[in-house]
Parts: sequence; structure tokens; C-alpha cells
Amino acid sequence: MLCDKCKKNEAKVYYTEIVNGEKSEQHLCEECATELTSFQMGASILNPETSLGSLLSTILGNYHGNPAQEKERTGKELHCDKCGMTYSEFLRVGRFGCDHCYDSFDKVLEQSIRNIQGSDAHTGKKPKDFESKTDKIIKEMPEIDKLSIRLQDAIEKEEFEEAARLRDQIRKLRKEEINNA
Amino acid sequence: MLKWYKEPAKNSDVVISSRIRLARNLRKYPFSIKLSDEQAVLMVNEVKESAKTIEQQTERKYNSSNVNTLAEIDKTAMVERHIISPLLTAKEQSTGLILSEDEKISIMINEEDHLRIQSVTGGMNIYEAFRMANKVDDITSGIFEYAFHEKYGYLTSCPTNVGTGLRASYMVFLPALTAAGRVGKLIEELGKYGIALRGTYGEATKSVGSLYSYDEVEDKVHRSYGILRYARQLTSGDAMTLLAQLKLGLDLELIKPKQEFNVHELMMDIQPGNLQCHQDKNIGSIQRDKIRADYIREKLPEII
Repeated sequence: MLCDKCKKNEAKVYYTEIVNGEKSEQHLCEECATELTSFQMGASILNPETSLGSLLSTILGNYHGNPAQEKERTGKELHCDKCGMTYSEFLRVGRFGCDHCYDSFDKVLEQSIRNIQGSDAHTGKKPKDFESKTDKIIKEMPEIDKLSIRLQDAIEKEEFEEAARLRDQIRKLRKEEINNA
Repeated sequence: MLKWYKEPAKNSDVVISSRIRLARNLRKYPFSIKLSDEQAVLMVNEVKESAKTIEQQTERKYNSSNVNTLAEIDKTAMVERHIISPLLTAKEQSTGLILSEDEKISIMINEEDHLRIQSVTGGMNIYEAFRMANKVDDITSGIFEYAFHEKYGYLTSCPTNVGTGLRASYMVFLPALTAAGRVGKLIEELGKYGIALRGTYGEATKSVGSLYSYDEVEDKVHRSYGILRYARQLTSGDAMTLLAQLKLGLDLELIKPKQEFNVHELMMDIQPGNLQCHQDKNIGSIQRDKIRADYIREKLPEII
């Protein structure tokens, strides 16, 4: 495939961008990719560990503009309240300062994390005893609402026997409620 | 219990070892680059303590130690044996290590992330490596509160590791692809699948280079054996090249050893740091090359 930009060289860098569900793809040759991202191919490709980091910070930098200009415009720079790391410092070192940085830079990061990781949400293992916000909200709900959520879930998974059982349980609880009232 | 390079394993001619690494951070400390020296000491001590609990809940024995206070030579030897990373040895802050007696499981403390849980098996057995690392992670996650994000998963210093914090790798021996000059192309191809390929032990297998016929390979393998058998001085680079050629000969059954012989163990033993640890002293490089040649002659099997 030829490069989308210069239409001369073989495209080696495939760049996919998804904004608000709209997907656009670009296929670039090394030269054009270098121009766009100031990412140096060649030597750095032999050392994936460093190249990933530098690729990341150049992509991030190009996406969200120069942090210094941002500072001039808004009077203050994006930073993390907990460890004090600024966004430009993060771009320079390519490392976060603490767990809270992920929230502090969330807005500008989301897109990039999706680019690096292929997804922006973790679905794998969780630490022991970890309770997500959704789990917590569900836990504090009245019994009927909990059952309704499980009913929805069962219907989506086409587990109709379970769904019927949950439906009967909900009916029973409703009846009791009315009687009590 | 056998060390990983001594146990019989699947496809071990091509796949030397399988490794899993999990990156984990504790919620209560800042990440590596913002961690103060005092916090580093506290964190390392706290994590080292967990060795006891891990030992109680797994079938292995563990030792924990501070890495930053070790002698340079011991650190080098551990890097050569792939137990710790060069980054860990380069740090001036407090750093630590929990290591199982069979060297299959290790936790580096205060590397790029607070914990780097690593496991290794001989040959192609990534599932067993994962099982071991995952088990240790289950135990430590019961002791510490990890930095975990509802949306992003396990949080790490570097955004490339966020999510599972997992990296899986095989150490592979590819003499023919190297000789055919195809490794560069392979790196490119694998990159598309999110797989990275890089050299270990330098470019040890490089000079098997440009052999085309079976006769040439057979000749080269026997020449290498001859040099290893009779040389009186060998640099580590030369020795690695020759041993790589010897390994190729063994894998292709061009030569058969009369005594039991573990080429990978020998490859680790003759690295500068390990060689000096065997000798229990620091030695100059010329002296070292002589000792290395002696050591290899002693370990090298007779061949049929």
C-alpha cells in the first residue's frame, strides 16, 4: 500500500483515530509519519521499550498542543493535585507520578490510552476486595432494584429460566410491599 | 526443586524460557519518579515483609534482600541470570528483591513500578509461568492495597503497561533465521501483532552467519567445539558465539554429548559477573578470559 500523504513510498505506519465513534485511518510512510509525529523510525524500533514511550509523548504532544501555549492562554497548566506533576513534565518523562495522575490527566489521556492499548477500559483481573463504584451503588439499592438489574442482565444473556425466576421474585416483593402499605 | 534451566521442557531447543511479568503499585505511595528516598526505604521494607506470607501460601521457599546495598559484582551476576533488571541495579534509592529458592519467581521492589512480579519456566510453558505469577499476585493483593482504577485497571508508571500490567515473553534461539538475515523482517512483521523481538546476551548468534549448506554447518559446529575444547583464553563474546554454534549442533544432532550437558547453564555461568562470583573474587579481564577457557574445558562434554 502507498502512503496516503505523499503517495510515493510504501506505507509502514498505520494510524487509526476514533473520535466520537467516527473512525478515520491513515496509512503513512516512515518519512511522512516522522514529519507528522516527530517520531524517529529506524534505530528506535530496535528498542521497543523506549520507542513506545517516545512515540506516546510525541503523539500526545501533537494531539493536545503545546502545554506552554496552553498555560499562556488559560493562566495555569494542567497538573495533578496529589503529586504535583504537570502535564508538560509527564510528556517529557513519559511516566506518571502517582495513581491520581490517571484521573488528573484523564481528559487528554483517554484517546491516547485507547490508541496504545487498543481499548480504554480494563476488563480483566481485579484486586481482591476491590469494589467498583457501580458495585457499591448496586449494593446500597433496595432489594427490588437489585433484582430488576439482574433481570435485565438475564434477559440480555438470554437466560430465560433465570429471568422468569427473578420476575416472579420481583412480583412477590411488590405484592408484599402493597400489603404492608 | 530444579532451577528453570535444568528442568526438562517442551520445545526447549528453540524456546529457552517463558516469562511473565506483572507490574503493580501500592496506592499509598507515589510512583517511582515522585517517590522520596525516605518513602522508598519504607516501601521496600513493607513489601519485603510480605515474603513470609507468600512462603506460607505457596509451595516454595523465599529469600528477601536489599539490592542497593549488594556488591556490584553480585548485582551484575543477577542481571546476567535474568533475575533482576539493569534498571533496578542502576537505582541509588532503596531497592529490594524477593526471590524463590528455585529462582522461578521473583519480585523486584522499587523498579519502574513498586512491584514487578516475575516468573519463569524452562522451555515453552507460558501458562505455568502465568499460573505462578498470578498466584503470587493474588497473595500480595490481599496484603497491599494496589493502585487500581475502575476504568483503566492496574495503574503503572508508564501508560504502556496500564491495564493488566502483564508482559509475556519467550526467550528463543533462532540461529537459522539470524543466518539468513531474516530477523529484521521478522521484527517488522511481529510488530503488527503487538509482539516485540529483541536480542538477549548481545548478538551471540550473529556469526553463525551466512552458512548455506549442511556441510558448512557441520564443519562450523565442529570447529566451534574444537576451539571451546582447546582454547586457553576466551572473551565472553567469543565464548557465547561458539556456544551458540555448539547449541545449534546439539539441536540438529550433528554432535552428541557423551556426558550430561546443559549449554544454557554454561552460557550464564561464563558471563563476567557470574564467573567472578564462582571465583569468589574480582579478577582482571585477561585473567578472566583464561579462567573462562578453563571453566568451559572443565564443563564441556566429550562428543560422539
